[in-house]
Amino acid sequence: MRKEFILSSILAAASLPAGATLGGTAETIVSDQSKLHAKRAVLDRRDYTVHEITSADGTLVREYVTPAGKVFGVSWTGPTIPDLAQLLGTYNAEFQTAMRAKRGHRSSSAIVHNPDLVVESNGHMRAFHGRAYLNSMLPSGVTEDAVQ
Amino acid sequence: MSQKSRVRRVQELTAAVTTAILSLTLAACSAGSSSAIIGTGNTGVAVTVPPVVNNVQPVLMDYGPIVNGQFVGFNNTLYTTVIICVPGTITCQSIDHVLVDTGSTGLRIPASLVTLNLPFVTDSGNNPIGNCVQYADTTYQWGPMVKVDVQMAGEVAPSVPIQVVGPTNFASAPTSCSAGGFPAQTVTELGANGILGVGIFRQDCGSACATSTPPAVYFSCPASGCTAASVPLGSQLQNPVWMFPQDNNGLAIILPQVGAAGSVSLSGSMIFGIGTQTDNALGAAQAQGADSLGNFTTTFNGKSYSGYIDSGSSGYFFLDSSTTGLPNCASNSDANGFYCPASPVNLSAINSGPNPKGTGVPASINIAFPVANALPLIDSSSVVFNNLGGPNPNAFDWGIPFFLGRTVFVGIEGQSSAAGTGPYWAY
Repeated sequence: MRKEFILSSILAAASLPAGATLGGTAETIVSDQSKLHAKRAVLDRRDYTVHEITSADGTLVREYVTPAGKVFGVSWTGPTIPDLAQLLGTYNAEFQTAMRAKRGHRSSSAIVHNPDLVVESNGHMRAFHGRAYLNSMLPSGVTEDAVQ
Repeated sequence: MSQKSRVRRVQELTAAVTTAILSLTLAACSAGSSSAIIGTGNTGVAVTVPPVVNNVQPVLMDYGPIVNGQFVGFNNTLYTTVIICVPGTITCQSIDHVLVDTGSTGLRIPASLVTLNLPFVTDSGNNPIGNCVQYADTTYQWGPMVKVDVQMAGEVAPSVPIQVVGPTNFASAPTSCSAGGFPAQTVTELGANGILGVGIFRQDCGSACATSTPPAVYFSCPASGCTAASVPLGSQLQNPVWMFPQDNNGLAIILPQVGAAGSVSLSGSMIFGIGTQTDNALGAAQAQGADSLGNFTTTFNGKSYSGYIDSGSSGYFFLDSSTTGLPNCASNSDANGFYCPASPVNLSAINSGPNPKGTGVPASINIAFPVANALPLIDSSSVVFNNLGGPNPNAFDWGIPFFLGRTVFVGIEGQSSAAGTGPYWAY
């Protein structure tokens, strides 16, 4: 069992549920501000940290940060899908391109497994869940299973 | 989106138009049906019983609606024809090829198809209310809420809040709705003339959207712009079935089975009410409840996942390639998003949920299901398949193939039948 502890339980960071962007620096988590009231907690794992941002409507966004301060993964759970353009940042264009290639069918998921970028969005009305990560930025000894 | 392009079939189009006209005539005849009064007896007290109305609504699967001479439907799509009317009037229009979706709640019609002048649903400040619905495939629909009478078979739901999708003369979609997503708002984008959400809930969002900190689903839209707003249950999108005066505790979807090569079309029924008439008895169907989010448990190879039943999904969407051993179809192929095993496989899983009778004994139902190579199926002329599968990490989405060869009962939240109290599924 990894020992988990809360470094700074609740910061008064009124940030978007989607604070930092994939591949960006952790500082953007704090610097991103919005009118939405959100609570933020930081959990220290052995090889990375997890920033948990809970907004008042019940959406939980987790951002996974390398020891070097880079966001290598994001995940979300809640009644709506967070702003993926902001969450994915510069990788949103790659995600959009991959989604446009999907052929005409209806599913309750959006899945992109590119060599580096992985995005998985699923769920339905009232209960959405998803995650995105960059294979190239997973810290040493950390697998994609960490991003939940 | 690659809807299969097909040659326009004039005779099919003619048949569709004839059907629409017939439906309109029926609508005018059966609107405003009232209760019968029987058995006054010696006491002189009237005993009111619901009238027996036609509760059988035809459904079909085919190539879908026609836009610019081309069929634009997707594979494995269940359609029906819905009549909407200006509330309290017989000024109506019939809309064919509306997607029947047990995975959502409420009626949504593209603005381009609406010919009626319909009243907005408004907030306490008399501002129109806008609705944003997102889907996990990152598509969305945005538009104002209006009220209509909804007619299907002989049933009429009065003054139902519905969504008009994507009108050009209304505020554009808020960023929280559209950012990072794709609009699925036109007939071509939808592959349908709208969506009829007839899932297990009364409202799409429910109590979460009536709180002081609602998710960004409903918006107050004064001329200055739309902002997220709390909206009472009665102003939210409604499952029209629970608003029928009778046969309102749920519905059953009945579809025949198809062969492994699929079919070019399929006809079935959507029957309103559960155990309310001679044609909608539960019979041997087992009922299983769902949680407040709409999920039950699906167990596969000894591990448990979230499960849900969604006639708006075109396949069995479950887990991923590494967990199932099923290869994904090539991402540059027509079958991108499905599994492509070299030969068909037969799988099984167990669905379980709380007993809707509240007995505390969970109801478990074993499901056997086939998955075949999606590529030759999708490249064939067939559009109805019982063996399409695809990935959906850590979850089981029981889509259209699950409905083929079954009667699936949809027990609506807070409504009771012999199976118990909704939300539940029975099959």
